[in-house]
Amino acid sequence: MSRGNLLAVFLILLIVFELIVYVSTTPRPSEQFFQLYVLGANHMASDYYPGNNSNIQPNVDVRWYLGVTNLIGSVQLVTLRVKLGNQSIPPPNDTQAIPSPAPVVAEFMRFLQNNETWEVQFSWRISNATAAEGSTRILELGINNETYALQGWSARNGYNFRMIFELWTWNLQSEGVQFGWFAGNERHAAWLQVWFNVTTPSSG
Amino acid sequence: MPLTLRITLVILPMLLLLLLARPTGVSSQPSDQLQPGFNQALAQVQRAESAGATSSEVAQLLVPLNRAIELNKQALQLTSPQDAQHRTQLLNQVDQILESVQTQAGQLEITASRRTLINKIGAYTFGGAAALIATLAYAYGLSFWHRYRIKRTFQMKVVPK
Repeated sequence: MSRGNLLAVFLILLIVFELIVYVSTTPRPSEQFFQLYVLGANHMASDYYPGNNSNIQPNVDVRWYLGVTNLIGSVQLVTLRVKLGNQSIPPPNDTQAIPSPAPVVAEFMRFLQNNETWEVQFSWRISNATAAEGSTRILELGINNETYALQGWSARNGYNFRMIFELWTWNLQSEGVQFGWFAGNERHAAWLQVWFNVTTPSSG
Repeated sequence: MPLTLRITLVILPMLLLLLLARPTGVSSQPSDQLQPGFNQALAQVQRAESAGATSSEVAQLLVPLNRAIELNKQALQLTSPQDAQHRTQLLNQVDQILESVQTQAGQLEITASRRTLINKIGAYTFGGAAALIATLAYAYGLSFWHRYRIKRTFQMKVVPK
């Protein structure tokens, strides 16, 4: 075999092997997203209400689990915003990434590694609610042993309140939190809501 | 129409488009609840991560960062004037944690980028060595095959029909 042929074989093999090295050492672009979930008291997608009754009475404990998984590909500062809404308040807008105008009741914040799941126990109770003229208003909510005073929404006969959970992330450019996240140039949003009714002694 | 005018007519709208271009607006809420150091700390940790820091190394930085969030929250809950001193202490503690994390993340970025570079050099060197070994094996195999064919040729028996 001539030296020229040997050199040609070597060059071809060199290109092949270096290509293999390049492909195996270069990370593949993957889809960037977050997972957001709410589980019931038994850590399943059921049993969201005590006694499976969505009519919640004041001072009755309700236990949910909120979870976020970071699949963005880097460390993220994540905020879970809990909002209290009624039937008429607009929910978050997915397509335009506009959060719900419902008032923020509580928020949970944490730095999350890539592929890390963060789960928060969300135990809440209606500490104080009034019912007058067919309208029920929640005045205080107890969340994880802390009491939050609300100027919140009322609902007709206590029907169709909802707890809205929005995922916010830290934006390095604007140095603030943003609703949802950016994957490339695309804006994405994640939110969930759980409906419930409030039964006060006077509203029956 | 003269050539220079035509070129100007093509280039001018392009320049105007470039001048009018603006970065896409990000509708975010400026957080008045977090110390400004959180932004720098997160940016520095992300730089260390993209330099090749392992998940366990990054996890070690996130423990104090999450502690800083807790302390920041505690500080914000102290609103009465008599708690002002305690609040200041907590916020100072948050700043110290953030500074420490930034320093550690900076060092981790240097270490990780060096390690990544060494690993890459190693991998590409291995690729070159593998190509060389494969070439030598090919050349040896080919020469062995030729010798075998020659041997077989000389071992042939001529059988008259």
